[in-house]
Amino acid sequence: MKPQPKLDLYKLHKAEYGATRKPALVEVTPASYLAISGQGAPGGDLFTAGIGALYDAAFTIKMTRKFAGQQDYAVCKLEGLWWSESAANFAKLPKDQWLWKLLIRTPDFIKDDDLRQAVAVLLKRGKGEDVKRVRLESLAEGRCVQMLHVGPYEKECETVAVMKAFAEKQQLGFAGKHHEVYLSDPRRVPPERLKTIVRQPVRPS
Amino acid sequence: MRTVTLQDYKRRLLRVLAHIQQHLDDELGLKELAGLACFSPYHFHRIFKGMVGESVKEHIRRLRLERAASRLKLSTAPVTDIAFDAGYESHEAFTRSFRAVFGAAPTQFRSSTKSRITTTVRSGLHYRAGKPMSDFKATQPGGKSMKVKIEYKEPIRVAFMRHVGPYDEVGATWDKLLPRLGKEGLLGGDALILGICHDDPEVTPPEKIRYDACVTVDERFVPEGEIGVQVIPGGEYAVTTHFGPYQKLGDTYTRLLGQWLPRSGRELRSTPCFEVYLNDPQSTEPEDLLTDIYAPLQTKTRT
Repeated sequence: MKPQPKLDLYKLHKAEYGATRKPALVEVTPASYLAISGQGAPGGDLFTAGIGALYDAAFTIKMTRKFAGQQDYAVCKLEGLWWSESAANFAKLPKDQWLWKLLIRTPDFIKDDDLRQAVAVLLKRGKGEDVKRVRLESLAEGRCVQMLHVGPYEKECETVAVMKAFAEKQQLGFAGKHHEVYLSDPRRVPPERLKTIVRQPVRPS
Repeated sequence: MRTVTLQDYKRRLLRVLAHIQQHLDDELGLKELAGLACFSPYHFHRIFKGMVGESVKEHIRRLRLERAASRLKLSTAPVTDIAFDAGYESHEAFTRSFRAVFGAAPTQFRSSTKSRITTTVRSGLHYRAGKPMSDFKATQPGGKSMKVKIEYKEPIRVAFMRHVGPYDEVGATWDKLLPRLGKEGLLGGDALILGICHDDPEVTPPEKIRYDACVTVDERFVPEGEIGVQVIPGGEYAVTTHFGPYQKLGDTYTRLLGQWLPRSGRELRSTPCFEVYLNDPQSTEPEDLLTDIYAPLQTKTRT
């Protein structure tokens, strides 16, 4: 039997993940994600546990399907939404007030039942309670300004400023949550070489 | 205990190099050669390649060709005899190899006035017809300097599946192991994915290469069917990161064991190296792949 070609959502939706260091307008189609929410600084305990739980769920779902001979797919990279309750400048807020939702893009054929089953297996394994907070969600971001940020996360505000100016020039305003796609592995890639896609939904201002 | 130096490593390799010169026509076993230099057979071929700049096999082949060149010049033996003595079964194969190294076919070479009968190599090691050897040039670490950390590791318990066969087919074993462990919730967050290569693809015939595909597990995991459990010994390890495709891991091993190690003052333990795959090759471009290589070190001070 010929193996089915592996599904890679980032390659399938190339236009949505092909950001360059110049801002551009993209139309982002509705997409399904495994998601876990929390509050606090990136790298904090809750954040780290959230990443672990998200990957636990993602790989358990994928491998359960693969074992059953169903279509294989690549587990996508980590993404994150960032926002705050107050309207104040996000970057200037204390980090413990940062709200986040970590995401892993997942094929549409993954349903709540797949997630429920994986969570049950993981709890039986004694993997900890965090996995119970993983949800399956869909996002419809529509029209977005997008740009590739190369460098430390702390310097992202410079990229955001360029994106904002680009949007304003076209009578567009930021609307919706700041979205990041982590293309590099921060454990090993030096900060100055980290690649992150920054995405911001926009609407006519 | 005295610290081992580059000179010590060279002295040990010289014993092997002299033995090769004296037994150019014999089948030389890897274990035998490693034993002469008191190196573990797990690591010997990589230390050799890293320091000499060519593998044991390449080295022997080159010396045989140099010997053939000298016989062409200094004797009247028929070319076919010389080809046979150099380990070639056919005249054509010999001519091809000879031309690649000396730039002329054996018969042309014999009748030309050029007298250079050695190849150019960095190591300065050539066929010496029984003369003693005293030194060679160990390959200098070139290019960007290699970042190596010494890390102490506790013993690592892993579930594993053994692959026996060509190295580039290990993917099939991973495809069996990962779904079985993954559906049990054993992959994801903190599980490490690692590989233990028991043989070097350059010296072991492809069908005999042993490779263990491993995933770290806790005490509760019990071996089942084709999936076994082993414990990677704890202790000190020299650790470096390989950047890029898995096909090029061999180059980084060679630099670590053949260039860094002899200058580190350390010696290797007789257990295999292992590698930890830091990203998912399914969603990562080959040039962005990161792999940590762990080489087991002997404890520095003995009591």
